[in-house]
Amino acid sequence: MSTATASKPSPAPALRAEGVCKAFVSGKQRTQVLDRLDLSIETAELTLISGPSGCGKSTLLAVLSGLQKVDGGRVLALGSELGQLDLHALERFRLQHTGFVFQGFNLFPALSALEQVELPLSHMGLSREVARRRARASLEEVGLAHRMLLRPAELSGGEKQRVAIARALAKEPELLFADEPTSALDAANGQIIIDILHRIASAHGTTVLCVSHDPRLVAHADRVLAMEDGRILSDRRNQPPVVDSHGTTS
Amino acid sequence: MVALARKTLVYEWRRFLPAILAVGFAGLLQLLQLALVLGIFGSTSLYITGSSADVWVGYPGTQSVGSGRSIDPNVEARILMDPAVQRVEPYIWVDGDWRGAKETGGVSVFVSGIDPSPNGLMFSKALSPALRARLTQPDAIVVDRSAVDQLGIGIGQTATINGHQVQVVGISSGLRALGGVNVLCSLDTARRLDTDSEDNGPTYLVARIRHPNHANAVALRLRGDRSFGPYTAWSARDFARRSVLYWLFDTGAGAGVLFLAGIVFLVGAVITSQTLIAAVNGSVREYATLNALGVGVAALRKVVLEQAFWVGALGLLGASVLGVVLLALARSQDVPVVLNVPAALSCIILVMGLAAVSGLAAMRSLHRVDPATLLR
Repeated sequence: MSTATASKPSPAPALRAEGVCKAFVSGKQRTQVLDRLDLSIETAELTLISGPSGCGKSTLLAVLSGLQKVDGGRVLALGSELGQLDLHALERFRLQHTGFVFQGFNLFPALSALEQVELPLSHMGLSREVARRRARASLEEVGLAHRMLLRPAELSGGEKQRVAIARALAKEPELLFADEPTSALDAANGQIIIDILHRIASAHGTTVLCVSHDPRLVAHADRVLAMEDGRILSDRRNQPPVVDSHGTTS
Repeated sequence: MVALARKTLVYEWRRFLPAILAVGFAGLLQLLQLALVLGIFGSTSLYITGSSADVWVGYPGTQSVGSGRSIDPNVEARILMDPAVQRVEPYIWVDGDWRGAKETGGVSVFVSGIDPSPNGLMFSKALSPALRARLTQPDAIVVDRSAVDQLGIGIGQTATINGHQVQVVGISSGLRALGGVNVLCSLDTARRLDTDSEDNGPTYLVARIRHPNHANAVALRLRGDRSFGPYTAWSARDFARRSVLYWLFDTGAGAGVLFLAGIVFLVGAVITSQTLIAAVNGSVREYATLNALGVGVAALRKVVLEQAFWVGALGLLGASVLGVVLLALARSQDVPVVLNVPAALSCIILVMGLAAVSGLAAMRSLHRVDPATLLR
């Protein structure tokens, strides 16, 4: 994991897209989703990409995270050009450096919360003890210390999403990608998830890139990119939130 | 390592149950089929396996015990001259037509004329000394328990074989024959029952030798001499195998077994692979999430294969338990079933092969695991 703890942007961006093009072909129909897009995402920030559905924000997340290849241009993640990596190298890159949170929580019904979080860790080559310790710490961090041994069927939607975040967080990734993490949740649970994501960026120095059309997120992001028709329309930076003496944000 | 495969199997057992049942029943079907075939066709060699002779001497080219021809009685002297031979006795096979006290229609019987002395070799393992002793009475016969109804007769009653009267003096067990009924009597009685005027010697000579594990060498040595007319010699093991193989392939039963094994494998594999594929498809989003987090497709394949292995192992366990119960039941009802190590091994290989093939088929459906599809 990155040792950076600064909440200010560092000179080298964690993610950079240069002239990225991506199109989907369906039959004879060709849809240009991303059109020569340039973008830099700074380290240790919660960056939000918002926009109407179909604007290409999920595709942008997919190419920036290496889940999809670009048609043109290039993507640099932590200094590596993702287009140069083969499938196996991409898997390794993701294993070592990235975490994902999806709209659906995608938890294995048979595993307890603790095991869900441990599962990817055991594939990272960590010992059983280290994996268990990290999994516990992550679940505690998302406020599920008392729910660790429960299976998804016994957890609420918000709790499931927190398990999914803990699963990504326990890997101690430099990059954390979240796709519509709050859209399946009610207001209270959505707020909890937003707070956790923001805290991960500021406390762990993790670069958090979140795609959402949830307006509640806008106020909590360090930076908000508005997207439409495959282009960035606006790039806005929020003032750092005021922190009171109790450590809670306002 | 979190035991994802096993935990999912336990937690979602309902999902995997059809596959376990398919594998289990495929194994059970195969097991029972093999045991029955071995039992039924094994009975064609029980004359050899139920006796303690090491070497059999008979007419050249004989394909099974029941299809021998008589050989020159003087061959006995030649056999006895061999220093390895300890004891020789004649064995007479007569095909007979049975007429009992009750209306049974024509029943073909296989008359085995044996030396009933206490140290006789023939049926020494299948016939108690008391029953042997009773056979010394003239025209006394022993019939198998399984054939009592078929013959319509009980102890003490009389019947005729080839027009000659005989009396049942005892009931044996474990001597069920294929295609007829075994009837045991003394050599003298057998000679009287033989209506073929060309038969002037025993059908076989059976010998015990000093070192039973030299049976093949002794049989080979005895084969060379032709001075007493046509005869040849086999070790008991060879002759038993020859008899069973003759029946297995002459009757087409062997091809039937292989054909059914193929069908069982195919049906089992289709059901099992479909169940496993459904299980993979049911977890495809979770697998895709793991892949997004960097867990390689190879590791995911291992999970699927491990599930297939456990499905196979559980199916095998069920088949074994049920198989043992059913085989015991069959034995108690005098149904000829035999299970040996190669047969059991072939069942295990079939079941695990089935699971492996199904696992590989299910693994193919992992190509749908594309984490990009989660971003919708």
